[in-house]
Amino acid sequence: MIEAFASLGPYVPLLMEGAGTTLLLFVLTLPIGLLIALPFAFARNASLPVLRGVGHGFVLLFRGAPLLVILFLVYYGLPQVPGIRQSAIWFLLRDPFPVALVALSLNSAGFQTHIIAGALRNVPANEIEAARAAGFSRMQLLRFIIVPHAIRLGIRSFGNEAVFVLKGTAVVSFITVRDLMSAANQVYFRTFEPVPPLLVAALVYLVIVLAVSRIVRRVELRLTPELRMTRSRREMPQAAR
Amino acid sequence: MDLSILAFGSGWGNALARGLFVTLALAAASVVLGTGLGLVGALVATSRFRIAAVIVGGYEVVMRSVPELLVIFAVYYGFSFALQPFLQMVGIEGFVAINAFWSGVLAIGMVHGSYCSEVFRGAFLAVPAGPLEAARALGLRPFPVFIAVKLPLALRFALPGLINLVVVTLKATPLVAAVGLQDLLRVAGDAGKNTKQYLTFYLVALAIYLVLAVLIWVVESRIERRASRFLGA
Repeated sequence: MIEAFASLGPYVPLLMEGAGTTLLLFVLTLPIGLLIALPFAFARNASLPVLRGVGHGFVLLFRGAPLLVILFLVYYGLPQVPGIRQSAIWFLLRDPFPVALVALSLNSAGFQTHIIAGALRNVPANEIEAARAAGFSRMQLLRFIIVPHAIRLGIRSFGNEAVFVLKGTAVVSFITVRDLMSAANQVYFRTFEPVPPLLVAALVYLVIVLAVSRIVRRVELRLTPELRMTRSRREMPQAAR
Repeated sequence: MDLSILAFGSGWGNALARGLFVTLALAAASVVLGTGLGLVGALVATSRFRIAAVIVGGYEVVMRSVPELLVIFAVYYGFSFALQPFLQMVGIEGFVAINAFWSGVLAIGMVHGSYCSEVFRGAFLAVPAGPLEAARALGLRPFPVFIAVKLPLALRFALPGLINLVVVTLKATPLVAAVGLQDLLRVAGDAGKNTKQYLTFYLVALAIYLVLAVLIWVVESRIERRASRFLGA
């Protein structure tokens, strides 16, 4: 077994490079997804039925469709849309890496829209009424009451979503992006030992997830001091997405 | 867009239907296996056997942290690798491909189970103490209390979460194509390659997955309403 791991030696740079690509996809997908999600989240809660429908459809599309379908649609399907090769977004669709980023970000944006819209909706109405009664303008209301409270409500789901984004990055190996998953496979194909590279990759994913959970928990405790004492609330049923 | 390529018989309709069947069978088998594993996992994790609880808890954290794709590869390659010494004894050399479908079921079922375990654990915690005390006061032994009182009550809390996980698992099934399974998405990809109509076939696949997800969500909201009747409207 130990010799098997020693045989990984020459492939450490390959695995590191893969891990770097995975991390890069991870840290880029979350903020890009957030930027896309924000307008849709406000649309989802708008009073205009058309806007609500758009927000709802966006969430439904990405919560219902497998990430791999989205990825293949963007990678193989979109270039077949007439005129897209002449359009301004073509530069995003030419190479696998940007395609992977587009697909992952859109997918995450769907889930983030769901989380943000839910958090915004669940800000207690009496707080908003109190702020209105105190003469807050719309911007002030948003800035000092709604957004801070919504962040507290949504931070935990956001942390879960971050983990799903990280796990989701593995699908990019299907379109030839050299991420950690594909690096591990490469090492297997060269050494004919499947266990060591897969185990090392699993360990790297695990370490990133544990780090992310730790950071999210820190932020959560900082934002919601009242939860520090009551552990039981943390253990309420929380279905994955 | 010429839709005759989607026709049954002359077009790709039959192949897509077969792919859909594989996808549904894979999802169903994984959900059954995973829900069972999840129930057992939740019971062990909340049991008095500390060491077992820690081991099961750790295993579940790993399953929830590692990409499904990696679990699929690990099960698929790991198994053929582990089988090699035994097969060599009977004179079979080299790489032996094990069944993609069943290794997919095992891999996705294991991941599904680790999420189910979380749902079950929450549901068991949500069962009020009153009915359990009443059952014990009536002289029921621990096992009947569990089967007749705790589990049915917990299921009501767990069902929406469990059904929601069915969608998550359905969405993970296309990944098994990586070890060669001809599921819906793989067939759509083959059809796209053959006809050079990727857009059409991937849109069809997308539509089918969305319809399935929406159907599951409809069932979920129905069951949720039904299961929470006792809570009073």
